[in-house]
This record gives sequence, structure tokens and C-alpha cells, in this order.
Amino acid sequence: MIYISEIIDKEVWDAYGARMGKCTDILAGFSKKQFPPIVAIQVKCDDGVLKLLAASHIGTLFPSIALNVPQTKISDFEEKGNELFLKKQVLDHQIVDMEGRRVVRVNDIQIAFTQNEYVLTGVDVGNLGLLRRLGLEGFYIRIARLFGKLPQKSVIAWNDVVHIEEKDPLQLVKSKEMISRLPPADIAAILEDLDRVSGQSLMENMDNEVLADALEESPLKTQIEVLSNMDFERAADILEEMEPDEAADLLADLPTEASQNLLELMEDEEAQDVRSLLDYPPDTAGGIMTTDFGWIPENLTVIQAMEYLRRSEEAQDVEDMYYIYVLDQNEALKGVIYLRDLVMTEPEKKVDEIMNRDTISVFPTESQEEVAYFMAKYDLLSIPVIEEGTDRMLGIVTLDDAIDTVLPTAYKKRLPRFF
Amino acid sequence: MQRVKKLNFLKRIGLFLAIVGPGLITASADNDAPGIATYSMAGSRYGYNFLWLLIVVTFGEVIVQETAARLGAVTGKGTADLIRERFGVKVTFFAMLCLLIANLGTTIAQFAGIAAGAELLGISRYIAVPVVSLFIGFLVLRGSYSRVEKFLLVLCLAALSYVVTAFLIKPDWGEIARAAVTPTIILETDYIFAVLATIGTTITPWGIFYMQASVVDKGVDEEDYHLTKADVVFGALWGNIISAFIIICTGAVLFTTGIQVEEAEQAAMALAPLAGEWSKLLFTTGLMGASILAAMVLPLSTVYAVTEAFGWERGLDNSRSEAPVFYGLYVAVILISVIIVLIPGIPLFPIMWLSQSMNAILLPVLLILLLKLANDKELLGKWVNKRRQNYLTIFLTILITLITLALFVIPVFNRS
Repeated sequence: MIYISEIIDKEVWDAYGARMGKCTDILAGFSKKQFPPIVAIQVKCDDGVLKLLAASHIGTLFPSIALNVPQTKISDFEEKGNELFLKKQVLDHQIVDMEGRRVVRVNDIQIAFTQNEYVLTGVDVGNLGLLRRLGLEGFYIRIARLFGKLPQKSVIAWNDVVHIEEKDPLQLVKSKEMISRLPPADIAAILEDLDRVSGQSLMENMDNEVLADALEESPLKTQIEVLSNMDFERAADILEEMEPDEAADLLADLPTEASQNLLELMEDEEAQDVRSLLDYPPDTAGGIMTTDFGWIPENLTVIQAMEYLRRSEEAQDVEDMYYIYVLDQNEALKGVIYLRDLVMTEPEKKVDEIMNRDTISVFPTESQEEVAYFMAKYDLLSIPVIEEGTDRMLGIVTLDDAIDTVLPTAYKKRLPRFF
Repeated sequence: MQRVKKLNFLKRIGLFLAIVGPGLITASADNDAPGIATYSMAGSRYGYNFLWLLIVVTFGEVIVQETAARLGAVTGKGTADLIRERFGVKVTFFAMLCLLIANLGTTIAQFAGIAAGAELLGISRYIAVPVVSLFIGFLVLRGSYSRVEKFLLVLCLAALSYVVTAFLIKPDWGEIARAAVTPTIILETDYIFAVLATIGTTITPWGIFYMQASVVDKGVDEEDYHLTKADVVFGALWGNIISAFIIICTGAVLFTTGIQVEEAEQAAMALAPLAGEWSKLLFTTGLMGASILAAMVLPLSTVYAVTEAFGWERGLDNSRSEAPVFYGLYVAVILISVIIVLIPGIPLFPIMWLSQSMNAILLPVLLILLLKLANDKELLGKWVNKRRQNYLTIFLTILITLITLALFVIPVFNRS
């Protein structure tokens, strides 16, 4: 294994042993293979000119850089435009470590010689890499040996990292795809850790749905910042993808004019849901409820109920569906049935016979603490919110939203860096 | 394309208020404990002599802070990030060492301010400093200091009493105006130290990092940048006007009676014409408020910058085992500061202002890096430094370097 910190700034010699200049950068190519090949090195000639030398001219890179041709026979390397300048674009920059799902800084870059070519194998993100750059690696290892402890290497394989400050569009798409596969909370954390410019370029082509999920896990401040930098159309599309309660919280914090515009651009149905939520204070059941929940009409058999849910467009939007609510034609709440019971009961049995009629529910004006208390007391995963007087079902509060006051989500602990 | 951000006039004002702050805060911090100490010392020893320097320093502060703000707005990255990405590990190591030393010095000065303030109220520093530092550590690590912070900001308004006092004592405004436009230089070690302290308490290494980080944190981009620029200029003017009034008060009250401020009690006397026997309390209020506020923010922001530069885990949302360097360094900075101010017989007041001289001596290192970053076309595009900005920054860097050199050369001449 070779590290590029051991190659950069080294002298370059041609086949006759004549000095050419100093190596200033190393270029990796784009390939579908696991490890991209080194395609060229950049040399600063002694007359100050920067030259790119193709990998085919390179005899060895380490311990010293020697070419296999005389200086006079060197042909210029032609850039395709998708090469990565390892020192300028990767070394010391931030990358996303897909294994650890976090943003890390590249302290050194590892290169290996395999099958007649040099390839980029991984990045060193550990303290050993830092010490190597400071010229203290050997010293440190000697000290560590003295204490019988061998320092740990922390090299991440290149196929496990995503380079985000990418300029090549093809690579950028690949980076986005890889990051999109991560859980939303991790994407949110990564977006938080990235600088604004990289974060924005990453978000630009990300799926609206992926981005909406990630935003739900982000602090409100980030949500607003992200949306503020988008055009109205896309912002509205993303709001549609978000849970109505999250979207309502976000809209409530935007300037009135902007939130009105966005609501008009959203699909009617989604906009309607969000509008109704905007009327309630944020720390009440109405403010934290979501209007997406699974429900069926009265008087169905079990098999009909399951068929109804499968075809229901509303039910498709529901993320977790442990409880199915039974509503009459006025949308008044009549009972609740566990999804488990629905699955385990004979298909021809009437739902009304097996459902629970004494449903625990709250009014939209109930305080968030009170809601959390009810859910804890009755061991509920979600609680229905009904209109006072008519019993019309408005939505449900899910457990994670209810306990937010008691147990703030991780990001809420994260404080502004400065005052 | 219509953007969410297009707003009418009223909204614009709202946006301005949301973005304004970093510049004002950094500049107000000119009048923290080391700041008050520096100006009181300078005013009591040299009268109005330092007023001209304040004008030079105000220009310098605007230039430096504006560069940092611009870098933050255009790149969206912190100062430490940019230094690391542009200059590599070795330079970063050196720059961070300078920052760490400068900020440790300033943090010690803040704790010295707490100790001095407590002793003015008749409380032993051996009780006050440990109690306050535990209180600070608790609040910061729990992340719940925002309410306390507003309270402390109000205490800092005590610095305004210098303005009131200045009008009460009716100094010779003509003489003040003359002093402000007549550069005076005395070639002696004490004077040079005072000059460096005045520069170092206004144009601070931490101010550069703080400014850029807040601009990034607030999500300011090229579009809103003009607001941030206004914030920087307004903040620098505001902070230095207050500084000028501290010099005017101490110059008029203490310099004329020949009292050279060596401890907080003497510095408090500058407020006597306004508050009489209450001047001690008034002085302590401002000193303590500013010191505690800075002691909460400064170590934390220092540790953020250092860990960010080297890519170590950071942030209060990580546990101690996840981010050992972050927490270790934080506790070390606080502990060292506490221990130093508790050394028996250590003179608190000189610590406060001498630490600022050290700030100034370390400043050129960061100014050179900042200058190189601000001229990087690939980084900033059309936002690179204008020629005028380059000249001014280079002038400032050379000026500080020359003054520092003078510090070492003058003793040699005086002896012979």
C-alpha cells in the first residue's frame, strides 16, 4: 500500500534519470470497476509549466517516481473531464463514509499496484493519517510499540465512500443514488454536516420523496433553509411528500406570503390536510396529529375490510398502520381494530363484532403532554383525534410525535454552535 | 424562476434582523473583560493618546471581519474547513495551534475578569471561580444556556454607563478630537504592549472564526450578503465607539490624577462621577456579564474549530466516548484557565490585557491565510478580494508585524 502523501511533492525522473520536476497531483479515472485506476499524474516541471503525464508513461510511483520513457518522447495526456484530482479535490476534503454513515475528512489516500496498474483503493480518515502528514507517523508507532499498543488503521475502501464535492455529472448522480439508499435520519445528519454548497448540490437531484423523508428528520431551521433555496414548484412537491403534520409545522414558520403561495401550488388534497392542521397551536393534539391514517367504513366483513384497505388511496400514504379505525358515513369514529386481529380472524366474520368500541381518543385542543400521558397509560402506538360534539375523526397522533416533548429527538439536543 | 425567498419590504426587514447579529456580537465582544481592561489601562496611562489607534483598528476590523463573512457566505464552509482544504495538514496544525494559544489566553483573561469582579464584590476568587466555572460547564454541556445568555447580554449593557459618564464629566472635547486625528507613538515597551493589546482585543483570531461560522450557521448566501456586510460595518462602529468612551472616561478621570490602573478597583473609579460609591457594582456588573458570556462561548467555539479542522467527531449531540477530543479539549481549556487565575498572588488585571497583546502577535499568521483564501478564484469566483481590500489587509499585517518586531528591538536600543 502506498499513500499519496508519500508521492505528492516527490521528484519525477525520466527513463534516463533526468530530473523533470515535482509531482503535484494524481488523477484517478472513472471506471465501473471496484477501484478506479490512476490515469495520470500532474507534474510541475522545473520551468514552472504544469504537465499531465499518462499512467502508461509511469514506471514506478514508489519509493520514487520514475518514468519508463525519456522526457522527449512524452505525449500529452488528454483529459476526458471526469478525472478526479486526488490532491485538489479529495485530500483534506469531506466525504461520506457509507459504512459509518457520517461525514468524515480525508487525511490521506491509499493507492495499490494491481494487475499492471495503480488503482485508488481507499481513504485514510484516522489519526494515523494525520500524523503521517505531519511526518510523525514513525515516531508515533515507535512510542505506541513501547507501550505495547499498535495504533489502529482506519482506512475506508473507496467503494464505501461517496465523494460529494463532485463536479462530474455522471459521478454526482451515482453519489446521490448511494446516499439516497441510507435511512432518512442518516441522510438528515449527513446534510447537516455538509457545507452548504455540497449539501445543495446533493439535494438538487435527489428524489423528492427521499428528501422529504430526510427533512422530516431534520431540525426546523434546516427545513426552512432548504426550502428557502428552492423554487416554489419543487418546494410544494416536497411538502406534498412530507407527513401533513411536519409540513404544517414547516409552513407555519415560513412568512405568510410564502406559505400561502406554497399551499396554492400543492395538490388540493394534500393542501387541504395541511390547511386544517395549520389552525391548531403546535403543542396541541391538533398541531402534532397527522391526517394520514388507515380507516374502513362500518358493516364490512374482515375480508372486505382488507380489500377496502388495499384499494384505498388514503391508506397507501400511511406509514405505520397498526390500528384500523372504523368510521360511519359522517366520518364519526365508531371503533378501532388491530391489524393483527384483522389478519388472524376468519374472513367472513363482521368487523363490527370484533372491533373495540371504547376507543380512547382526544380532542384537537388537548395539550401534547396530556396526549403523551394517555398513550403511555393505555399503551397506545397512536391515538385518534376527534372533533368535539360530532366525533368526526380528524387524524391520529403517533407515539413518536407525542413523546417529542418528553424525550426530544436527537437533533433537538444539538444546539446552535454559537449564540 | 420565482424563489421562496422573494419577499416584500416588511419581510426584508425581518430577514435583516434574522441575519444581523454576528457582526454586532463580535464587535460588542470588543468590550469583554480583556477589552475593558485594555482600554482602562490604556486610557489611564496615556490619556486620549489611543483614540487615533481606535480609528485605525475600526477600519482593520471591518476589513478582516468582512473577508471572513464573505468567505462564509460564498463557500458555506467554516474558516478551519477552508484552511484545511486549501493548505493541508501542516499549515492547519500551525494555524490551529496559534488559534488555540490565542483563545486559551483570552479564556484565561475571561476567568481573570470573573475573579476580579468577584473580589470587587468582596467574594474570594477561590470560591467564585470554581463555582462559576462549574455553572458554565453544566449549562454548556447540557446545552441549555440560551436564556442565561440573554440575561448576560443585558448585563453587558453596563458598558453604556461609560458613555453617560463621559457626558457627565464634560471633558475637553476639542482635545479629544485633536487626539483622535493625531497619531502619537511612544517608543517604549509598555506603550508597544498597550498598542498590541488594543489591536488584539478588537481584531481577534476568534472573531474571524466566529464571524464565518455564524454566517454559515445562519445560512447566509450571496443574495443576503449585503445585509451581513452592513452588520459588520455597523457592529464595528458600535463596538469601537463604546471602546472610545472607555478611553475617554479613564483618560479624563484617572490619567489626569495620575492613577495608572493596576487592578479592577482602580478601573472602576472611572465610573465614579456617574455612580459614586456604586461605581464598583456598576463596573462589576459589566465585567462579570461580559466575562461569563465569553467564557461560555469562547472555549466551545475554539474546540469546534479545532475538531472541525482535523475531522474529529464534535458537537454536543455526541457522547463523551464518541467525541473524546471534543470534550477533552473543552474541559482542558476550562481547567487550565481556572487553575491559572487561582495561582496565589497572580495579578489579574495585567493577565487580562497582556493576553490581548498575544492575540495581536498571533494575528498575522491568520491574516496571511485569510488573504490567500480571499484571493482564490476557484473558491470565490467573482467574490475574490478587490485590490483595495488586499492592500489594506497587507498593510494591517505588516503594521502588526512591525509593531511586534518593535517590541523586541526597543529594549535593545534603550539599553545602549
